Amino acid sequence: MTLELNNVLPTPLQEYPHASNSVWKNNFSIDFPKKVLLNASSGKGKSTFVNTIYGLRKDYTGFVKLDNKDISTLSLDEWVELRKNKLSVVFQDLQLFPELTVWENLILKNDLTQHQKEGRIMEMLEILGIPGKKDQVCKTLSLGQQQRVAIIRSLLQPFELLLMDEPFSHLDEENAAIALRLIVEETDKNKGGFILTSLGSHHGFQYEQELTL
Amino acid sequence: MLKKILFQNKVNFQFIFATLGALVGLTALCLSFQLMLDVRSFHSGEEELFGPNQIVIQKKVTKFSSLGLNSTDFTEEELNSLKQKDFITDVAPFKSVDFKVAISEVPGDGLPDFYADAFFNSIPDRFMDVETNWEWNENSEYIPIVLPRSFVMIMNYGLAQSQGFNQVSEELLMAARLNIHLKGVNKQEIKMGRVVGFSQKITSILVPESFLDYANDTYGEGNKIPPNRVFIEIKDDSYGELEDLMEEMNLDISKDAIDVVKIKTIVGVIIGIFGIAALLITLLSLMGFVQYSQLVLSKAAYETQTLLRIGYSVNSIVKTFVKQLSLIFGIITIAAIAIMLLVKIVGVNKWLDENGIHLEESSIVPTILLAIGCFALFVVANYLNVKKTVRNLGKV
Repeated sequence: MTLELNNVLPTPLQEYPHASNSVWKNNFSIDFPKKVLLNASSGKGKSTFVNTIYGLRKDYTGFVKLDNKDISTLSLDEWVELRKNKLSVVFQDLQLFPELTVWENLILKNDLTQHQKEGRIMEMLEILGIPGKKDQVCKTLSLGQQQRVAIIRSLLQPFELLLMDEPFSHLDEENAAIALRLIVEETDKNKGGFILTSLGSHHGFQYEQELTL
Repeated sequence: MLKKILFQNKVNFQFIFATLGALVGLTALCLSFQLMLDVRSFHSGEEELFGPNQIVIQKKVTKFSSLGLNSTDFTEEELNSLKQKDFITDVAPFKSVDFKVAISEVPGDGLPDFYADAFFNSIPDRFMDVETNWEWNENSEYIPIVLPRSFVMIMNYGLAQSQGFNQVSEELLMAARLNIHLKGVNKQEIKMGRVVGFSQKITSILVPESFLDYANDTYGEGNKIPPNRVFIEIKDDSYGELEDLMEEMNLDISKDAIDVVKIKTIVGVIIGIFGIAALLITLLSLMGFVQYSQLVLSKAAYETQTLLRIGYSVNSIVKTFVKQLSLIFGIITIAAIAIMLLVKIVGVNKWLDENGIHLEESSIVPTILLAIGCFALFVVANYLNVKKTVRNLGKV
């Protein structure tokens, strides 16, 4: 999948100055599979970047293209199809279903895609250290635990590009590194790539490309 | 699982209001529709109370007509003006014979000895209220005759007693042959006739139109006789117009016929009002359901948006919703039909029975079809509404 940005500038960020190597107001494209880090401090627009590419924000000037198609022309049905098969995401605010259990949240996604076997999902819970939380209602989990559920959910579908908006903000470095290893493993299996936004840490990983805001 | 996410706040005031409304509305709608069907099939004697509105009209005989100063005949112009009235759907003048007729018994056939002057009329077959073989041609064995039922009553309960002859049953009258004396100016003949039926509606001696035309050609003088009685068919609920026409043309109409039109108008209006009220309640409850699903969706806005964000299609969400609503509508529809039948059998029919009115059961299939139609309307309206609401949520 090719991601291309032409002179993109979110409306709320128009008043701020942007560095010459910023993704904003620049022309560049990335061919995935590639593992990309977007490193920036707070308030520079990391979530705006992720949400814009994921099609949730439309308040920008310029063009965003996925596989040479201007994403502002995509219909809701086309977005749904894209988000089911090619584009996955870990939201900063996670967007889990708080009333459902961990397992229900995961199965809800896997039922739609039939991407992973139940045994593998269980294994992922074990790798991330929350197998015991399987039947617990999500809203009763800590943020760090919820974050791990959201990460696993994002891996329960085929994708060419996985967008992750500060996915480890509530995890310690050790757990973040474990999670990242799982993400890399699944990304490679999918022959896909990812963009991971971070507040500064590299989580001990060598990225193929780095973007700045 | 989608159901669990979307219907978290399932029962609320809107839901109860809409469900009760739909149940009451649909039940009332089915009941009024079914009663309309039942009443339409209601027969009083041989005459259909709610069949086509066919009425015989004639002009009133006044002292002037007795003196020969004004005529009770209908002129060509008057007939044309009748045909042009909006509420009159059919006009047929009675045809009369143009020569003298008399009837006598055939000795040995069981009828008392009699000889009476008579007359014949004929009307188009579509106005006949007697089901009988009404064919005649020159080779026919006898002339079929239909007598007014009131004539048999006068004969049996009046003449028989005072003249001292035996009463005659309808069966005997129909079994016996009659001598028909046809007395034209140039030709006289006696033909065989037979009573084939009795009319409740028409107070005239009727013969088939084919015979009357033939007889007028054969025995008549070729005079064109203007009709003095006309059969008309009028639209439902046109009692008002009929009354105006009676006034205008100084008409005489049998009280029975007017009463029937009056009852039909009143019953039609009452059931109509009931039906319209039921329809309004049903439509209001439909609005209630539309509001209910909008409310549920707005309460589940986050869930709906998240589902769309993780790859669930609009259709799968709409389908979950409509499936759940269809189940509710299905239960309401079946309950409405059940309550309608219960009210009809235990309530209305029993009451009518106790009051000596026996309705012929008409089929409940059309009513069930109506209920299914309402069910389909509910499902389609809610489908469109939910689809639009989900799409709007997806745009945010």
